[in-house]
Amino acid sequence: MNFLRKIFEETGKYVEEGKPLSWAYPLWEAADTIFFSTNKQTSKGPHIRDNMDIKRTMFFVVIALIPCYAFGAYNIGYLNALAMDLERGLIGNTIFGLGYVIPILIATFVAGAICELTFAIIRKHEVNEGFLVSCALIPLTMPPDVPLWQVFIGTSFGIIIGKEIFGGVGTNIFNPALTSRAFMYFAFPTKISGDKVWAVGPDGYSGATALAIPANPTEYDTASNLFAANNQFDFSMINMFWGLIPGSIGETNKLFILFGAFFLIYCGIASWRIMVSSTLGLVFTALLFNLLNYLTVDGILQSGGTPNAMLTITPLQHILIGSFLFGTVFMATEPVTSSHTNTGRWIYGFLIGVLTVIIRSINPAYPEGVFLAILIMNMFAPLIDYYVVQANIKMRLSRNV
Amino acid sequence: MQKITINKGHNINISGVAPSEFSNAPTQKLVSISPQDFNYIKPKLLVKEGDQVEMGDALFFDKLNPDVRWPSIASGNISKIIFGERRAVLDIIIEVNHDKELNVEPVKQINLSSKDDIKDFIQKHNFWPFFSQRPFNKVVNPKDSPKCIIVSLADSSPLANDLSFSLSEKREYIISALSTLKKLTEGNLYVVVRGDNFSFLSDYDFISLIQVEGPHPSGNIGVILNKVNPINQNDIIWTLQGSHLPILGKLFSKGILDFSLNISIGGPAVKPSYFKSRIGAKFDLHKDSLLMENVRIISGNVLTGKKINIDGFLGFYHSSFSVIEKSFNRPFIGWLHPGGKSKYSVFNAYLGSNKKSYDFTTLQNGSNRAFVPVDAWEKVFPMDIYINALARSIEANDIDEMEQLGIYECDEEDVALCSFVCPSKSDVGAIIRKGLDTIYFDK
Repeated sequence: MNFLRKIFEETGKYVEEGKPLSWAYPLWEAADTIFFSTNKQTSKGPHIRDNMDIKRTMFFVVIALIPCYAFGAYNIGYLNALAMDLERGLIGNTIFGLGYVIPILIATFVAGAICELTFAIIRKHEVNEGFLVSCALIPLTMPPDVPLWQVFIGTSFGIIIGKEIFGGVGTNIFNPALTSRAFMYFAFPTKISGDKVWAVGPDGYSGATALAIPANPTEYDTASNLFAANNQFDFSMINMFWGLIPGSIGETNKLFILFGAFFLIYCGIASWRIMVSSTLGLVFTALLFNLLNYLTVDGILQSGGTPNAMLTITPLQHILIGSFLFGTVFMATEPVTSSHTNTGRWIYGFLIGVLTVIIRSINPAYPEGVFLAILIMNMFAPLIDYYVVQANIKMRLSRNV
Repeated sequence: MQKITINKGHNINISGVAPSEFSNAPTQKLVSISPQDFNYIKPKLLVKEGDQVEMGDALFFDKLNPDVRWPSIASGNISKIIFGERRAVLDIIIEVNHDKELNVEPVKQINLSSKDDIKDFIQKHNFWPFFSQRPFNKVVNPKDSPKCIIVSLADSSPLANDLSFSLSEKREYIISALSTLKKLTEGNLYVVVRGDNFSFLSDYDFISLIQVEGPHPSGNIGVILNKVNPINQNDIIWTLQGSHLPILGKLFSKGILDFSLNISIGGPAVKPSYFKSRIGAKFDLHKDSLLMENVRIISGNVLTGKKINIDGFLGFYHSSFSVIEKSFNRPFIGWLHPGGKSKYSVFNAYLGSNKKSYDFTTLQNGSNRAFVPVDAWEKVFPMDIYINALARSIEANDIDEMEQLGIYECDEEDVALCSFVCPSKSDVGAIIRKGLDTIYFDK
């Protein structure tokens, strides 16, 4: 340890202010404080500080994601074994999956680190650990055999356009991880949407996600019946909860996502208000659509048009299919781009739930609505906060007569 | 009596709380008064080194507000005046040469029946510096008439001087001080107490007693005012340190100047105790009680106090010294630390962390980072103010918005806990002070 300490102390001399290598100080500081906690002193009151810092905060989010990674890797192997008619076992499946996950992870982190470090050097600020979370989130939103160069470009786009051009962590409007997901969806649609990408199988192998089934039914039926009729995968409620179904790497296992949610809430890092209110919004809108479907198909408002099977998805099915839970736990709660007031967080979350169901059910092009819903609400979060704060201002002015 | 419960906040359980008993200390030979303890004044000295002064004699006055003069807190000679950059007066050090108290006014001549009589009396004995005002936390302008006066006897800050113990023998002076203060305002005289402490005050109708419960900052006057009588634009509120009440009471009732003060010394790096001492006391008398070499001595509490050297003095408004270890420890991969007794956090971020009696050091426990609003400030900030929005309006220099968001209700001490918990290690107090400065100098 002393040896490592010495290396840092020696190299530190070269990056001091005024030295030719001083531009590299942010890099040195980042590496130095990763290995050894900073001994920065308080200068005035408060003379004492809490032991929590941004490094640990961000690291905790990464910890919360690890179970999703582990299951994602296993699921890739499992679905592949299913497609190839193989028997590989737990470890075999996981190792097979890791062969897909790790390269994506590396591509993401290389791209993310290059962008973050470059901006830290140009802007002369410390490297912000937030990019680690963005980079840890991006692979989990990818299909398993997405081309790595696309991941690289997508991540760079997310970090630069989603974050750095607005001034870096703390001032960004859009969640960088979702920005790259959205960019990749619109830039490389063939590799990130459709039926062919979600499971690794032989050439031309196709496996539809749970969301695609009611979105493109051969003929109209309720979502529950369509799920039951699908004989390729087990779309029972319990299996959709457990997650052995096609989907993005991190989204399928709801149990581990809930584990992450409770962990983050317990540590006080993520807002439970956003998670609860977005679920409420989703349930509310799903029930509304169920009612609408009942009225138009069986009830008094029969229109004669083709009924939409998406309207028959029950609230619980909405929660279990697609990446709603993953999005609301890990993406919507991103502290910088969500609402900054507690009242605002309730509204912000609720509208994410509402928009998710609307986009899923009514938009015919793409059945997954969570990432668009969150990005849209990222955009409106400052507006929500503005009105919440205005209410406080009005209260104060009314007192001030 | 009004009961208020504050829910948001946090009691920092730092080790080294002084037990409720007095230790013997040698008599103070040197005391100091520092113009640096007062915000927004321009001091003009009235004495020079070597002058003989009596207790209560004016030492300096404020050029911006010449009615306010600072009393000598001891009889003796001015042994040294320390100047800083651009001849800013840092310390006026007085060598104490005799008695602890001085009778300056025969009891029969004291007339405190009207507001103006009281103001003249305070003026005559140079006692205005004991009165500070909100907003801005500065010495009052004697010409103002405050909306209300508030005194907190329930300091909730870590290692605070427990006034229910240290003022326990001074009941009559507290009453006489409060009854005089009441005449200075048309509004209420609020006195903040905790639990059953100072229950004798409930016998007096002129006192609006507020019984507060809950964690720090529940004893701060800013927090209490936010709940009972918020400071609006153009309002002026006067306040005094609870520990100064007996000093005023003794002057008002007996005409005696006595600047003695029971101080507490606490913290992980010192043997904690209470001492019978005086305003502006020097720390080095207590250096035998230090438990380690490398320490930071703080006049006041660990959240808002000021750093002093070992031969430094107690600040004018302070009644305690806190001592913490200066640590330069750099644990290997500290951010991965599982927890245990060596970590303290408001967040549930460490397993089995020590929340009972923790040895805080001067370590910042993290590097400064861009601000990430993880709802940390809000958890420990009980006022109905959007502190995050306020901080942003200050950074944007938007005076209108600062006023609308309630900057007048805030002071550095009210947001000190926000800085304590902030994972980005922001200094919220400095931001609030910057906003107040911007407004003050704009007017």
